[in-house]
Amino acid sequence: MISVTPISSHTENLDLANLSADKTALAIRDLSLHYGEAQALYDISMKIPKHRVTAFIGPSGCGKSTLLRCINRMNDLVDNCRVAGEILLSDKNIYDKDVDVAALRRRVGMVFQRPNPFPKSIYENVVYGMRLQGVNDRRTLDEVVERSLKGAALWDEVKDRLNESAFGLSGGQQQRLVIARAIAIEPEVLLLDEPTSALDPISTLTIEELITELKEQFTVVIVTHNMQQAARVSDQTAFMYMGKLIEYADTNTLFTTPTQKQTEDYITGRYG
Amino acid sequence: MAASQRAQLEASNVRLMKDKAARWGITFGGTLVLIALLLIFFYLLYVVAPIFRSVSIEPLHSFTLPSHGKTVALGMEEQSEIGFQFDDSGTLTFFALQQTASSNWQPGQVLLQQQVVAQPTAFAATQPQNKRYAYAFGNGMVQVVEPKFRSRFTNGVRHTSPYLDVNEHSPISIDPQQRKLVRLAYEYQGDSQLFAAVTDDGSMIVNLLQASRSFLTGAIELKPKFTELPLTKAVDDVLVTPDLRQVLVRQANRLSIFDVSRSGVVTERQTLTVDRRQYGEVTSMTLLAGASSIMLGHESGLVTQWFEVASESGRQYKYIRQFKAGQSAIEEIISEFYRRTFYTISATGEVGVFHTTSEADLYFGKVANFHADTLVIDPRANTLLVQANQQLHTFVLDNEHPEVTWSGLWQEVWYEGYPEPQYVWQSTSGSDSFEPKFSLVPISFGTIKAAAYAMIFAVPIGLAAAVYTAYFMSPRARKVVKPTVEIMEALPTVILGFLAGLWLAPIIERYLPGFVATLIFVPIAIIAAAAVTSCLPSRWRQQCTDGRAAVMLIPIVIGVGWLSFELSPWVEQVMFGGNVREYITNELGITFDQRNSLVVGIAMGFAVIPTIFSIAEDAIFSVPKHLSQGSLALGATTWQTLTKVVLLTASPGIFSAVMMGLGRAVGETMIVLMATGNTPILDWNIFEGMRTLSANIAVEMPESEVGSSHYRILFLAAFVLFIFTFAFNTLAELVRQRLRDKYSSM
Repeated sequence: MISVTPISSHTENLDLANLSADKTALAIRDLSLHYGEAQALYDISMKIPKHRVTAFIGPSGCGKSTLLRCINRMNDLVDNCRVAGEILLSDKNIYDKDVDVAALRRRVGMVFQRPNPFPKSIYENVVYGMRLQGVNDRRTLDEVVERSLKGAALWDEVKDRLNESAFGLSGGQQQRLVIARAIAIEPEVLLLDEPTSALDPISTLTIEELITELKEQFTVVIVTHNMQQAARVSDQTAFMYMGKLIEYADTNTLFTTPTQKQTEDYITGRYG
Repeated sequence: MAASQRAQLEASNVRLMKDKAARWGITFGGTLVLIALLLIFFYLLYVVAPIFRSVSIEPLHSFTLPSHGKTVALGMEEQSEIGFQFDDSGTLTFFALQQTASSNWQPGQVLLQQQVVAQPTAFAATQPQNKRYAYAFGNGMVQVVEPKFRSRFTNGVRHTSPYLDVNEHSPISIDPQQRKLVRLAYEYQGDSQLFAAVTDDGSMIVNLLQASRSFLTGAIELKPKFTELPLTKAVDDVLVTPDLRQVLVRQANRLSIFDVSRSGVVTERQTLTVDRRQYGEVTSMTLLAGASSIMLGHESGLVTQWFEVASESGRQYKYIRQFKAGQSAIEEIISEFYRRTFYTISATGEVGVFHTTSEADLYFGKVANFHADTLVIDPRANTLLVQANQQLHTFVLDNEHPEVTWSGLWQEVWYEGYPEPQYVWQSTSGSDSFEPKFSLVPISFGTIKAAAYAMIFAVPIGLAAAVYTAYFMSPRARKVVKPTVEIMEALPTVILGFLAGLWLAPIIERYLPGFVATLIFVPIAIIAAAAVTSCLPSRWRQQCTDGRAAVMLIPIVIGVGWLSFELSPWVEQVMFGGNVREYITNELGITFDQRNSLVVGIAMGFAVIPTIFSIAEDAIFSVPKHLSQGSLALGATTWQTLTKVVLLTASPGIFSAVMMGLGRAVGETMIVLMATGNTPILDWNIFEGMRTLSANIAVEMPESEVGSSHYRILFLAAFVLFIFTFAFNTLAELVRQRLRDKYSSM
């Protein structure tokens, strides 16, 4: 059995099942997802609280990344993908026909497993989302760049070479740049899909500290393989197995007193 | 245990050997490719190099002739085995120039000597290739002489011997007043002969003798047409042109040109005064081979070329260019038999070799330190016979390609008969007096023009198709579409060229308005259809998947195309007075060829599209998915992601696709050969054709004589083509490397 000392123990525990509307960032209701004939998610219902870090854990192929990608509809890009159920963002089902996917993604940002800066300068990477919205005013953009890079704890390292290619940065810096790019357009929710799995331990630590800071401004949902990471950064944790949500609770509770046998088996390392 | 370890060891040995073999094999193959390329490169250079070699003159033999008088003319037989000399006593002497396979001739050995006339008063030679000479003697009499050579073969060895048939030409009286002739000029064409002469009382007489068959006896009679031209000043030179149409008279620096009509009527056409201060006193005058140019030698050592150029007052002789042959007066100018090369002899004894059109100064100086008095060149222009101080010297002359100079290939050249300097490629013609014109500019331009029009057609279509297939098309449709387009590349270009030349060109000519309308309205119709679709209710719009949209476009494209062609005759009637072709030619003043750049652009574009499509599609498709997803996740639309991230990342690949297409278009031969008309012109006009380097090589290589200037210039054209593709590919590679450094993703 691994020992876990949560660093976010200072946050109050929430009643996740009966979360009030003003504290809910996202409400997932009876969400099922099929890839062609194969079902990947089974009737998932959960509420994700505002300004908290929620972690999805579970063994490979359990559907945690798929669930994350449902939240900003990245699964739309996959052929033969059908979604049933609803995800409410500010009481609006994002799967309604009249939803503009691009607008949704501006409100729900995402950072991927591998750092994916664009082949542009550091500056242009950060302002990419702003330029898409037609913002070209130099002063506004400069402010956004400084704010976002500071927010992503990267400003001090790159402020002198903003016009150099983003490829010159290290992997950890690139990932923080991608986070800066995501927060530059000030989304409500920030989805992190295994953001540190391609990084070295020191970069991982920097990003983890960053995540804790980010929840002041954003609702953060993180998918991770690394249970210590989930324990360190998240306020509540959802354990998924075989496309089903097995257990969803405060991180402290989940890691110390899991109610389900499968959760206990997983966090004690019996499988996964 | 030990056995299994040894087995592992042996296995790794085998693997080591395989690795080694693979490495050597690959190195060997790569080196072989490089060597092959270098060999091609150097072979081309090896064939091309002689055209830029300078002239060399090597002494062969020296000998003295047992002559009776002063030499008035020298000559050589075709094989440079026998020479002949006319002297001022009226004697023709044939002599050996070198030992031959069939004889033990000593150089200078007299083979035949014969008195042609006694006490000649004047002498004339025709243009070298006409090989006749004439002595004036007695009172207005002329004897024409033609030195002849007989060749017979015994045991495969050639024996050449000279002979002279004095009775072949009977003496002709050209002056009815029977005056003594002091100067004579002579030319003939068929049975007609033209004489111009100066009499001892200072009159200028012209006599055209035309042969006609007598009705009664059937014998050939010569009908003279005699004209006397009163001249006030002494005549220095008289020349008649080989077409018997002009008499040129030089009196000091004044040149008078007289026209001779077919019936022999002489009229003065032009009087030309050569500026003394500018060029100096004229000291000699000769017609260049082809007899279109007059070469004047000057006291200052200048040689000037003059030929007829069209002007307001008809064709007039005009100063064209000059050559500098030393500092002393030019005593004699000798022109070659067929080429525009001429030789000068200066008063101080130097020999100069020049080529007019290429403005090449090939040689100047004393040959073997002799003070040359006169010289003659053999018909094949490889032996020089020089007289110096009563001695004769033969020289081997190596002057294979005087007409080719670097500036002549790439700069405007003023050719005989042209109103101004031009870039011309015209390598052959039917007439002997024709001068080949080798400017690589029009055909290099043609290559670029053909490639440019092909790219205008191919790049938008190829790239648009690549973007659509790689980025928007469903994977299932892509699996079918991509190989199909790539198979187009395997289509033999000869079929494309054949279809373009014989099927497409007439259609475009006939339905030009419809065709242009199709090019304009089909894209507009597609965009309009897309606009209409986006306005439809969303329920309908969701039915309209990408695949269905493409299918729905088919009737639109066909419909608009059909309508354009149906309306074509009507548009032609209403807007262009019933015939677009005539309208373009007459009203707009634009030449219209049936096989034009439009046809080539489409046909060659068709051949280039698969290349561009295939490489660009690969480049766009291989843009990492996490980049486009990263963009989409920031709220970009598909289109924004495409233009701002995907195309940027794929730009090295797209650039190489375009450059590969360009490389293919530049080297493409069959399509341009069959669909362009192959006229080497310098004009961007889309309704005219062009001649490309590759097509030019294909057309002319079979008819060019191996080792000739033409042959070598075609190799030079191949070399230029090689450099073209080499430059394009190198440039493409450099730019691609830079772009890849900039935009490559990890």
